[in-house]
This record gives sequence, structure tokens and C-alpha cells, in this order.
Amino acid sequence: MSFRKMATNNYYSFTAGGVQYGTTQPATYQTNQTATPAAGYTVQHPAAAAAAQPYAGAAAAVAVAAASRTIQTGYETYQPTTGQTTTTYPFASRQQSAYEKVQAYYPQAAQVGYSTTDTATAAYQSGITSNIVYGYSSSAAQLAGVKSKTTVTKYPHAGNSVVQSVVGKPSYSTNTAYASQRQVQKNQNLQTGAVSSYSYTGSTVGASPSTYSTYNTGNTGNYSNKTSVYGHQQQQSTQSSAAVASNNITNQQNTTSIVQTQKTHVNTWSGFKRGPVRFQKPKLPPKPEQLHYCEVCKISCAGPQTYREHLEGQKHKKKEAASKQGNNVQNPRGGTSLRCELCDVTCTGADTYAAHIRGTKHQKVVKLHTKLGKPIPSDDPVVISTASSKGSKGTDGSSVKADVASGDKKTVSVPKINFVGGTKLNTTGSQDKQEENKSEEKTEDTKIDLSKLDSKADIQPVGQDYIDEIKNDDGKIISFQCKLCECRFNDPNAKEMHMKGRRHRLQYKKKVDPELVVDIKPSLRQRKIQESTLRRQQLREEFYRRREEERWREELRLMEEEERMYWEERRRFEEEIEFMEWQRRSGRDPRGLPPIPVPPRSMFGPPPMIPPIMSSVGPPVSRPDSADDRHIMAKHSSIYPKEAELNAVQTVLTDTEKALKLVSDYLTESQSAEKKQEETVEPKKDIKETEIKKEANEEKEPSELNVTKNQEKEAQQSAPPQRVLKGVMRVGGLAKGLLLTGETSVQLVVMCAEKPTRTLLERVADNLPKQFEVVASQTNYEVKRCVEEAAIVVHAESEPAVTVTVTLTSPLMRDAKDSEGSSTESVKDPPDVLDRQKCLDALAALRHAKWFQARASGLQSCLIVIRILRDLCQRVPTWSKLNNWALELLAEKVIGSCPQPLNPGDALRRVFEAVASGVILPTGPGLLDPCEKNPTDAAAKLANQEREDITASAQHALRLISFRQIHKVLGMDLLPPPKYSRGQFNRKRRRDNNTEVNEGEGTDEKKDKKEEDAKNVEEVQEKA
Amino acid sequence: MRGPRVGRKGRTRPGNFKTKFFVPRPPFDFYLCESFFPRVKPAADESAFTQAILKRNQDLIPSPQEQSSVLNLVTKVQAVLDNLAVAPGAFDACQIEEVRQVGSFKKGTMMAGQNVADIVVILKTLPTVEAIQALGNKVMEDMKQSDPLEILTMLTNEGGFEVSSADATVKILITTIPQNVRKCDPEIHLSQKILQSHLAAIRHSRWFEENAHHSSIKVLIRVLRDIRNRFEGFSSLNPWIIDLLAQYAVMNNPSRQPLPLNVALRRCFQLLAAGLFLPGSASIPDPCENGSVRVHTSLTLEEQDLVCLTAQTLLRVMAHGGYKQILGQEGNPSVAMEMSVWDGVVVSPLSKAYEKPPEKKEGEETGEEMEQEASAEEGMETQET
Repeated sequence: MSFRKMATNNYYSFTAGGVQYGTTQPATYQTNQTATPAAGYTVQHPAAAAAAQPYAGAAAAVAVAAASRTIQTGYETYQPTTGQTTTTYPFASRQQSAYEKVQAYYPQAAQVGYSTTDTATAAYQSGITSNIVYGYSSSAAQLAGVKSKTTVTKYPHAGNSVVQSVVGKPSYSTNTAYASQRQVQKNQNLQTGAVSSYSYTGSTVGASPSTYSTYNTGNTGNYSNKTSVYGHQQQQSTQSSAAVASNNITNQQNTTSIVQTQKTHVNTWSGFKRGPVRFQKPKLPPKPEQLHYCEVCKISCAGPQTYREHLEGQKHKKKEAASKQGNNVQNPRGGTSLRCELCDVTCTGADTYAAHIRGTKHQKVVKLHTKLGKPIPSDDPVVISTASSKGSKGTDGSSVKADVASGDKKTVSVPKINFVGGTKLNTTGSQDKQEENKSEEKTEDTKIDLSKLDSKADIQPVGQDYIDEIKNDDGKIISFQCKLCECRFNDPNAKEMHMKGRRHRLQYKKKVDPELVVDIKPSLRQRKIQESTLRRQQLREEFYRRREEERWREELRLMEEEERMYWEERRRFEEEIEFMEWQRRSGRDPRGLPPIPVPPRSMFGPPPMIPPIMSSVGPPVSRPDSADDRHIMAKHSSIYPKEAELNAVQTVLTDTEKALKLVSDYLTESQSAEKKQEETVEPKKDIKETEIKKEANEEKEPSELNVTKNQEKEAQQSAPPQRVLKGVMRVGGLAKGLLLTGETSVQLVVMCAEKPTRTLLERVADNLPKQFEVVASQTNYEVKRCVEEAAIVVHAESEPAVTVTVTLTSPLMRDAKDSEGSSTESVKDPPDVLDRQKCLDALAALRHAKWFQARASGLQSCLIVIRILRDLCQRVPTWSKLNNWALELLAEKVIGSCPQPLNPGDALRRVFEAVASGVILPTGPGLLDPCEKNPTDAAAKLANQEREDITASAQHALRLISFRQIHKVLGMDLLPPPKYSRGQFNRKRRRDNNTEVNEGEGTDEKKDKKEEDAKNVEEVQEKA
Repeated sequence: MRGPRVGRKGRTRPGNFKTKFFVPRPPFDFYLCESFFPRVKPAADESAFTQAILKRNQDLIPSPQEQSSVLNLVTKVQAVLDNLAVAPGAFDACQIEEVRQVGSFKKGTMMAGQNVADIVVILKTLPTVEAIQALGNKVMEDMKQSDPLEILTMLTNEGGFEVSSADATVKILITTIPQNVRKCDPEIHLSQKILQSHLAAIRHSRWFEENAHHSSIKVLIRVLRDIRNRFEGFSSLNPWIIDLLAQYAVMNNPSRQPLPLNVALRRCFQLLAAGLFLPGSASIPDPCENGSVRVHTSLTLEEQDLVCLTAQTLLRVMAHGGYKQILGQEGNPSVAMEMSVWDGVVVSPLSKAYEKPPEKKEGEETGEEMEQEASAEEGMETQET
């Protein structure tokens, strides 16, 4: 029980200079004590050193705790057999004296020594009962099984050596046991042990062999019993005193005599106390008494006070705690590192190690150690590789320490330092085999380490160019600065090291040469991070994969949707085309002139399910809703004739046409008699037929008359020239559907059977008013003849006033021209024939109308663009020089030459592009008139200056359009951006919607409609 | 309301669902649709014009002496650099991956009086300023070694350094391998823009070798460069744009046969006047960039306007017989900016159309898209001459 108390007390009270120093040792010493100090101790006592050879040979110290325990048992059992106890005493006294010395070093622990003595006695007993060694070797195997895996290899070996030694030299073997026990106990005063062992050996040499056999037989059972106890203890961790306590308890359970044992210990100890005082003085070394050396921190303190303070200090505690954590502290980064055993400092590379060796701190420690007379290991570093550090981690502190003490290099493998200090001294001469073993191992380790060192040494310094030398005024280099890492150093060595350093290399890789290989530091943290990133990556991939799948499905669904919408869109586009077509036709349609060309969207109501984005999809032609398109459409709707105008024009035209028809009838009737007699060439039949035809036509609705006008005309042309006035046709803007608002003068052409003469004109003009009264009596028609123009001008006083110019012409006029050329004037020209050029112009106008209907009106955007251009010609004087026909031709050619259909904005721009690139410049190709036989320029009338001006104007207009100022070209205000267009997809644009007032004059209505549409669309979308 | 027509599904859909709204359109190009514009009267005889162009070209070609001196220097520098690339020896400031000649000297479009050749050096390492300085020094050192008598100067500039002899200069344009470009930090290294442009220069010279070897193109390039130098409005046209424009003007026609010089030169002006390089135009897609970058987008909107405006005025001048002024054989470049009279026809200059958006809110509608357009692929300006 008291034992247990002691243990716990000691553990905690050690720093305060606890009483039970010896017992404390297992806890503290085990962990922090490395080879050097152990060696140091042995060295310090020359006598001991000389004597301690056998002790060093006790390689197998590992079994330690086991040994100690068994020893206890041994002791316990031995106690009754009192035969040998007497021998204990001298030994004990000796030990006591040795212990006194320790007290000199550890004044605080002066009164301690219970356990020391305890162990001493135990050792003694074990020495006597050498069977324990055997027991040990077997127990070691057991222990290995119970304990960590890494130690397995080592223990057997150690055990072997022990066995060998035991077999060969029994006296030594006892010593071994003793030493091992020492280490188990973690007693600091090893030299004491050594000394005592020495004396002991001396005393037992003779005795041991005899006891050996006897005890062996007698005690095996007991021993094995205890071994199990030991195993238990090991499991509980040797280092903790609690374990000791538990062990104690088990011991108690096993044999109550343990308590007794302890008691006897105390007794023995007290006995020692009294006895050996006389030895104290002669053995006291005078100097070291003043030194207060802390093993853990490797520093000396000036006095006991400071030493105590140090021991209580945080730094010390930290170190102590760290050392308790085990060896892994020594080698935190993995990889190869070099260790300075003396200072317990781990360096990452040879350079840093060298720097350390040169450093003041190391020098201080060396000095201190020299002063203390402790052994100073050579400057050669201890190489710690990752593998070896693992091993050391696996074994617990005690085993490491035991290894160190015994000189058997296991985990901390250093080629040169191997015979560390005292160990070396101790081992001299005695165990050859052990040495051999050791050296074998050593060489192995050395190879690994050297290879690692080599790889380290291979690193070439990089980036010399990036290190600036900073010189002082004398030109002496005072420091270096690395521009890559932005650091400076004063020492050329530091510079060298920096250049080889990882950080510098990384910077170099980053900033200069990305191909430089910088080894990755596999630190624990990094590895963890790496692992976690990997894991995260996997998760992410998984996530993406799943999402991708989902997206796929979604996309498929969308594709179907799109497909559907696309066809929807196509349909709408076609409807739009139809609308355009219809619009074009409407120009000639007497009845159904469309009110205002509203965009097709509103025509068919809000198309459900079609989001605005569809405007960008579908047909290659993008829908007319670019900014340019919107402006053009707005402008277009403002220049398009109003319904009232169109109606008025329509009525007047119809009336005129009807009247002309009647005139034609009248003329035919009045002349038929005369003609019949004169012209016998024509077969009567034909005449009648044509007359019937005419009459049939008459009865037709006026609209039909108009629609079939062309055929009619054809018929007339082919038919014998029976009728004087063969037919009436619309030409010019009206026929082409290009009328603009405010344009109320329209042209009609009356085809005559013969060359129109002044007489004919007058007859028609005379008769026309009469017929007008028949056709439309309510409207007042004023008929003027305009002979020089070869026309009759009909002025209708309708609202708005409409002027109809009726030009008389005949295809014969053109023939005449030809025949003139060929000088065959067979056909007699009536003397009062009308102006030939005018007639030809009228004919040309007729052809133009035909051509236009065939070519231009089918072209997308062409009509709109021509209307816009006509408006431009009306507004801008520069452009007014360009006649309508040239304009139409130009627009048709330019728009038609584009491989794909264009929307109005692009079409208009393209026209300007063409003019800007000099199509109508003097050097340009000119506008070849397709309606003339001979190559003629439709714009031939343009003077060079006019061409130049138009081109310049177009060039400027083009740039205005490009830079979003089309409203300037169109002569209108800038339209606000549409509310709906792309609003859902480009929210940025929505901002300025509310800011601007709607300004398009004629477009308000339309806009409202558009907006409504848009809203509808949006609503529908929302519902969807 | 008719439902969707499902029957016609089989056809391939034109256009992608996600195509952006803005689709650039090629401008009107007379030579692509000549058939639509049959000539009313036969074209005038323009042999005088052609002769004038050839004459001008003759003036612009560097003399043999100039050429040989440049060639000399280029050969030496190239040799030194090649040697450094193969055997760097003790030189470790940078590693050379590749050395390539680019630019006008390589293309054979060098102008008289501009005896500058370009060599692009691709470094394996990152192009730090120090490395370039070191490379420059090393080149100088090596060149001095090979010919101690020659007087050479070395000057570093923002894109590398140049080595000059008495009558020739070799510009060494530094760049790095493409995968390194992104690693560059403008504070330590050359700016990425410069590096990219140097890499582009290599592509350009390669493209040129393959596509623009016709001598008409080279003549046209020289003449155009000369025009660019004389008319301020064209100053924003960089050599690469001129190369592309010349190649386009000569080769891009339905027959794929090179057009005569006079036609090609006029076509250049026509194209520019028709707004080839205006916003909204399909322009010329850069053959050396991915994703059809339109070349003119490297110009600002103002520059685009100015280029177009100048071309438009010059086109009219040319149409009235003022080609000598344009070629620089007569008169002065003021024709582009001032009113001039030709055969009684007054040719007046144009005013700028581009207005800076007055404020962001107002200009948003007008400016935004164009700005985007303009800024989208800015920066492919080439430095080579």
C-alpha cells in the first residue's frame, strides 16, 4: 500500500524534489533519458566506468520491468531462505555510498533512495538468483508478444545476448540482470548501480554459480507466476505509476508477503543509512556540487534556487511534457533529419546541422558538458530516418532508453556515435558478439542514412542571380538579399543554405523555372490535408456526376421542349412571311389595304408558350427586334400611309379605272363602224371574242379587274388592236406598294392599240368627266389634259385630295424607235403623236412594276428598306437626286446579294454599306437596269458630284448606324429600349425602362400593343 | 392557334439554342457579289494606277544593303540564341526553349528605313526582368566574343531587348511556353499581354507563310503600311490587321485567284469604308486565335470610327482620281482631313460618328453591347513590325 502511495506521490512531486526519487524515476527518466546522459554518468565515475563493463553488456534491459518484478518475487521468495541475505548488506552499504554521490548531484533528492535501495537489493537478489535471467529471456519473448510489434525483433536479440552472457560468464550475467533492473527502475544514478554492481560482482563471483542451479530449480514456478503479473503491468503501460500500483495490487492478491517485502526493504535501507556515512566524504567530488544541471533542458543553473525555479518554470515543464510524449517529438517532419545528441536538437539538413554545431547554443552546451565532465559526443550527427523514427515510436520510452544504455543501436541509428560516450567505454573488450551484431545493424543503417544524405547533398543551389549582395560603404559585403523570397541574411553560409532551401526553391519554381523539382514535404498535416482534399474531390466528383446525369435528363427534356418551340417559332416566322406577302399584295388590293403594318406578333395574338428568347432561335434570320430593327419598324410605321389616305386613293383609283373603262367602251363603239370598214385585215371573229372578253371583264368586280390586270394586258397586247384603249395599269409606287404617307398622286398607264396621239388624248379627256359622273357622281373629279406629259391628270376633291396621272402609251412607241434605227418607216406616224420619251417612260414604268413584283417584293425586308429610303430621299436633299427606280434597283440588288435573308436593320445597313463602298461612285459598276435591252445605268442621271455627295452621306449614315445612332439617320427620336425584350434574360437592361418617355409619335399605339403582347407573353411564361 | 408541328422534326436545326443574340454580319463586299452588279460600262483602264502602286512598292522595299545588314545581324543573334538554347553552359538565368524569327523581316514585308527584325525567344523558365537582362547581357557577350570589332548596343524594353548594330536592329521578344504564361505575375515578370502577343506573333508568321506568300499580298501590305504611316486615321491598324486585310483583299473572292493590285488596294478601302472594322461587322476572324476573334475588336470604338472614316474619305478621293495622293506620290495626307476638289467634284471629309455615351445610364443601351464587343477580345495587338 505504501508502495502505491509512494509511486503516485513521486510521480507528481518529482519537480518539487519529491522524496521518493527512485520511484519517480520510472515515470520521468524513462522517457526523457537518452543515450548520452546515461553515458555521461558512467563516464563520470572512472571507477565505475572501469567496472561497469558487464553492465553495458546487459543489452536486454528491455525486459526490465519484468525483470524487476520477477526480482521482487525472487526477493520475496528468497527472503525466507536467509542464507544469502548477509551478503546483501555489504553490497547495500556500498551502494549507499555510491548513492551518496548521486545525492551530491541531486541535493533535492538526497533523502530518496528507497527504490534505489530496493532495486539494489533486488538486484542483488537477482544476482544471486541468476535463474531470473533465464526467466527473463523467456519472459522477454512473452513480453514481446504482449507488447508492441516493433520491439519484437529486438527483444529476442537482446535476450539472446543475455543468455549468452549468462551462459558464458555467470558473474556477468548477474550483473546484466542488475543493470536491466536498473533501467527498469529508471534510476538516474546509473553509475551508482555500476559501482554497486561492480562490488557485487566482486562479491558474488564465487557464489553465483552455486546458487544458480539451486535457485533455478526452486523458483521457476514462482517466477512464472510473476511473469504473468508483469505482462499485466506492461499492458497498463510501464511508465505510469498507476501501473506500478496495480501491479502492486496484483502482487498483493498473489502473495500477501509483498507488503512484507517492502517492509524488509525499508528495513534494509534504514540499515544502510546508518551504516555507510563514513564513505561519503572521500567520494565527494568537489566541483560538480556547485553545478545545478537540468537533464531535461540541458542547462546548468547558478544555484539551487534558480535550479528550483527552473524546474518550476514553464519552459522546463513544457520540455518535460514534450519529452513524455515520446520520441516522435524528435522527428516531427519525417524524412531524413540530423540530430545533435548533445543538445537534443533535430536539424532538417546537413547544412542546418552544421550551422547548429557552429552556433553559440551548441557551443554553450559543449562547454557546460566539458565543465561537468560529461561525455561529449562527436560532432557527427545522428541521422534519423522516417523508418527508424517509426520504430522508436513503437517502442516505449523505457525500451529506447534501455537500448541506449546498453549501447545496442536500434531505433536511433547513428553510424559513428554508436559507441556513445560511456557506452563505448563500458563495452570495451567484453561482448564481442554483441558488438558484431551492433555493427552489422549499424552498417545497414548507415547505408540508408548515407544514401539519404547523398540525396540531400545533391541539391544544387538555384537562383544565384536573384541574390543581391549588399555592401557597405567600404565595399565589404555585409549582407545578402534574396529577391525571390524577399529575405536577407548576413552570412554567406546562410545564403548557401537558403539557396538550397526548400522555401527558396519553391519560390524559384514559382517565379523562375516552373520545371524545377522541389520535393514535397510529406508532413503529417500535409498528408492529412492531401487525404482530405482527395476525399473531398471524390465527393465532389460524385456530386458532379450525379448532377451531370440530372442535367442530362433535364437537357433531354429541354431539347424536346426546344424542338417544339423551334417549330412553333418557325411557324410564326412563316406566318410573318405570309404577312409580308400579304402586305405586299395589299398595295394592289383595292379593298383590303392593311391599316398599319403592325408587327406580326400582335397579328396572331399573344403566342403562348413562347418566351421572348425564341427571337434568337429558330430561323437563321433573327427576328426584327434589334435596336436598329425597332427603330426602322417604328419609322416605317410612321411613314406608311394612313388608312384614310389609302382608302381615298383606292376609291379614286377605282373610279378612274372604271371611268376609263367606260371611255374605252365608248371609243370602241364610236370607232367600230369606221374601223370595220377600214380594217378588213382583222378577222371579225377575233374582234367579237375580245369584245366579249372585255365585257366579261367589265362585269367583274373592280378588284378582280385589277388583280387580273396583267393577264388582261397580255391579252390585250396579243389581241388585235381593236380597242383603242386596250387597258389601264397601275405603275409607280402604287403598283409596287411603296406609297408613303402624304403621297396622294398615283399613276396609271393606259395602253393604246396604236401610238397615242394628241387627238386620242383629247377625246379621252373629253369623255372622261362624263364617265366619272356615271361611275361616281358624288365625288367631284377635275380632269386636266397635259399633252406634253402625254397624260391626263385627274384631280379628285376627296379628303385627302388625290391626283391620278393617266399616261397614254403604246408598245408601238418602242417598236418605232427600233424601226427608226433601221430606217424602215413603213408604219406611218400620226402627225400629232404624243411625246415619245414620255410614252417610253410610261412603258418602262410598267416594266419596272412588273420587275418589282417579280423580284423585290418577295425579298425580305426589301420593301421596308425601300420605303425607308424613299422617306430618306424625301427628307434629305442629297438623296433626292437618286430616283425611285434607281433606289429600288439598288436596294433589291444589295439586299438580294446577301446570301441569307436579312432583317430590316441589317438590310438597311447593308444598303448603306454598299453605297459607302462606292457602288454608285463614278468608278463603281453602276446600276444596270434590268428592264432595258441595252446596258443602262438606272442612275445615269446622277452627276459625279451628286454621286459623291450621296456616297459621303451614306458613309456617315453607316457609321451612325454602327454606333447606335440610327435614329439620326431615320430622322426620328431615339426609342427607349423595349420593356420586354430579353428582359428576362438580361436584367441589366431593365433598369432604364421606366426612365424614358415614349416619344415615337406615330408609334404609340403600336408600342402599346407590343407592350401588351409582351406582358401577355410574360404572364403565360409565369404560369408555365 | 395551331399547335406545334411535330411532323417536320427530322431537319437539322439551324443555329444553336444558346447562340447569343448578336450575330455579326459580314459587310457588303462588292467582290463577293459581283454578279449582282454587272458593270454598266466597261471598267476604266487603271494601268496607271497599278503602275503607281508598283512604283510605290519599289520605293518602300529596303535596299539590298539594308537587307543584308539586317540579315547579318539576325543571323548572328539567332546563332547566339540557338547556341544558348542548345548548350546553355554556365548561363542559368533562364532556359531557352525555342528561338523563332517573326515579323516583317521574316515575312518579307520589311519597309525601307525600318531595319528592324524580330526574334521571339520562348523561355522554358518564367520571364523575369532579371532573366531578360541577363540574357541580353549574355547575348551581347557572346556576340562580342565572336566578333570583337563590331559595335553593338543592347537595350532592354518592356517586351524583351533589342540588339542594334550601326544600321540594323534585332528586337528580341521574350515570351515563355504557353503553360507558363498564366503563372506570370506582372510585378516580377513581363505582363501576360506582352507574352501572349509574342506567342501570337509566332502563330502569325506561321500563318503568313502558309497563306499570304503571294507577292501581291506582300506588295499590298507594304503599300498599306506606308498609307497607315502617313494617314493618321489609320494609325491604330497594327501590322497583323494589315496583313489580314491585305490577304483578305487579294485572296478572298469567289474564284480564289489573287486579284490585281489596283483592285485589291481599292478593295481594302472599300471594305474599310463599308464598315468591315465597325461594330456589328463580322470583320475578319483572326485565324490565329481560337473561337473566331474578330481582329478589329482590338481597336477602340473611336479608332474603329476613325479608321472607317478615313477609308471612306480616301475611297472617294480615289474614285475621283486621287490615287497619287493616297499613295503618297503627290500632295500630302491632308486629303483625308480636308476638303479637296477633283475634276470639279468637291470631296469633303467626314465627321466622326462615334459619340462617347454621355453617361452610363443613357449610354448603357447604346454603349454596352458595343463596349462588350470591343473589350471582349482586346489585347491581341502584335508588337512585331
